[in-house]
Amino acid sequence: MMANHDNVKKKSPIIHTLSEWFPAILLFLGTIVLWQILVTVLKVPRYVLPSPLNILEIIIKRGIDLVIQVGWTMLEAIMGFALGAGVAFIAASIFVHVRLIERSMLPWAIVLETVPIVAIAPLLTIWLGFGLAPKVVIAAIVCFFPVLVNTTRGLRSVAPQALELMHLLSASRWQVYFRVRLPSATPFIFSALKVASSLSVIGAIVAEFTGADRGIGYVVVSASYRLDTALLFAGITFSSLAGVVFYQIISGLERLILYWPGARLPE
Amino acid sequence: MMNVDATNNNIVLSNVGMIFPGEQQVEALRDVSFTIRDKEFVSLVGPSGCGKSTLLRLVSGLIAPTTGEISVRSKTPAQAQADVDFGFVFQEPVLFPWLTALENVILPIQILGKRSPVKDQEVIAYARQLLADVELSGFEKHYPEQLSGGMKQRVAIARALIYHPPILLMDEPFGALDEFTRDRLNLLLLHVWEKIRATIIFVTHSITEALFLSDRVVMLSSRPGRVMSIVDVPFERPRTFDVRFTQEFTELTAELRHMLQLREVADDGQP
Ligand SMILES: Nc1ncnc2c1ncn2[C@@H]1O[C@H](COP(=O)(O)OP(=O)(O)O)[C@@H](O)[C@H]1O
Ligand SMILES: [Mg+2]
Repeated sequence: MMANHDNVKKKSPIIHTLSEWFPAILLFLGTIVLWQILVTVLKVPRYVLPSPLNILEIIIKRGIDLVIQVGWTMLEAIMGFALGAGVAFIAASIFVHVRLIERSMLPWAIVLETVPIVAIAPLLTIWLGFGLAPKVVIAAIVCFFPVLVNTTRGLRSVAPQALELMHLLSASRWQVYFRVRLPSATPFIFSALKVASSLSVIGAIVAEFTGADRGIGYVVVSASYRLDTALLFAGITFSSLAGVVFYQIISGLERLILYWPGARLPE
Repeated sequence: MMNVDATNNNIVLSNVGMIFPGEQQVEALRDVSFTIRDKEFVSLVGPSGCGKSTLLRLVSGLIAPTTGEISVRSKTPAQAQADVDFGFVFQEPVLFPWLTALENVILPIQILGKRSPVKDQEVIAYARQLLADVELSGFEKHYPEQLSGGMKQRVAIARALIYHPPILLMDEPFGALDEFTRDRLNLLLLHVWEKIRATIIFVTHSITEALFLSDRVVMLSSRPGRVMSIVDVPFERPRTFDVRFTQEFTELTAELRHMLQLREVADDGQP
């Protein structure tokens, strides 16, 4: 057994990853088993705390519906993400070029940031109805701020000497933006996009709480009304999965685009 | 109003003064006058904060002097800048981490576009040649993150030379490097300079470095920077390290060091 130790480094990357995750997976399985045993032994009522098997049963029974519902939520989140991050990116690009616009708009962006999203959601439902629109807008709002702040910071992260170098070459604003500022900003942008990807899912779910007839948020709310705690847990599981999947997609994109060594910012 | 001796490729500073405005006005330079001849290697030596970087930025037209005049190859610094007469190397290499060494060297040509003095089909070959000149053959595809400090600075030198600037401004380019690397790069810079024969203005803290490299050394006093003395360096070229162990070199080093220190003491004595 001890002799194996030396072999660890020579194993394939997949096996290496597996062995790296092994303790975490073991802890997870252990917790599940313990949970199942405690709920069974202590006879905890199902509406207070369902057993893992109860939850699994629901997931199997309503799996397709849950996937569809979470699909709606993902759609709202991705659309909101694209909208919020897109607008934030354009705003940041303008901020860096026109200080006056930044000084007139940034304070209001900060005010918008401090308004609790749960407080805006009902208002947007009144204005935009029960369809996709209010969910997309809420998801967009929660994505907007981190992307705005990080993109602005990234576009400004260029060393003053690098700008002087461009100046000595009589580089145009466009050249400075596309050849220097934007590449410098990409690590900052991606670190914000990762945060925004998780936030957008949360935003969409919160929006679904205030008025929706589909989506995983709707599943969770209606399950809580009916004290269907097992379904509630299944909903929570799927919501988390949605956040994780979206985050992983953005992370993968980041690995693809930030190809140069030392590009990625520390988490 | 053209200066008489400015009708050539010299750099002429006449009574240049620089005061940075603001709440706490800073007088960085006062009444600086001297001429740098075409293809000359001149070092600026002086205490920290005496305006050496400011002087380079004035010459290259990045900032304008408060008083006095600067003429670069019979033009204003702004015109010389528009003609892309300047290559600049900073203390930090300021390479772009998303570009390989070769791509970093080529970047200025891409920025210059139609104004580039190097033909498109020759750019890559010339960039490779420059990287070879700074002893970086084989590192063309390396990213800055994968290079040591000295290697990065050599890439920065190659990048500054790619568009054939007649004037190379170097602001403490080896100041952040260890002594061995610095010595090697001194020698390498001389080799490169022998080849390209540009005018070089080289800022340094090191008197040894200044004497080893330059034709003349301009000594600046502490703030506001004034020309304290201009020293002709008598050593023959091409130079090797041996020159640094000659008695003449040691004596000259001691003399310059003495001059700087005396001046510092005198300045401290004033209210
Ligand atoms: N943009 C600026 N605004 C205000 N003060 C400046 C600026 N640049 C330089 N200075 C001041 O001018 C003086 C000379 O600076 P610098 O030329 O960088 O000195 P050196 O390169 O010799 O160390 C310093 O006191 C510095 O603080
Ligand atoms: Mg300086």
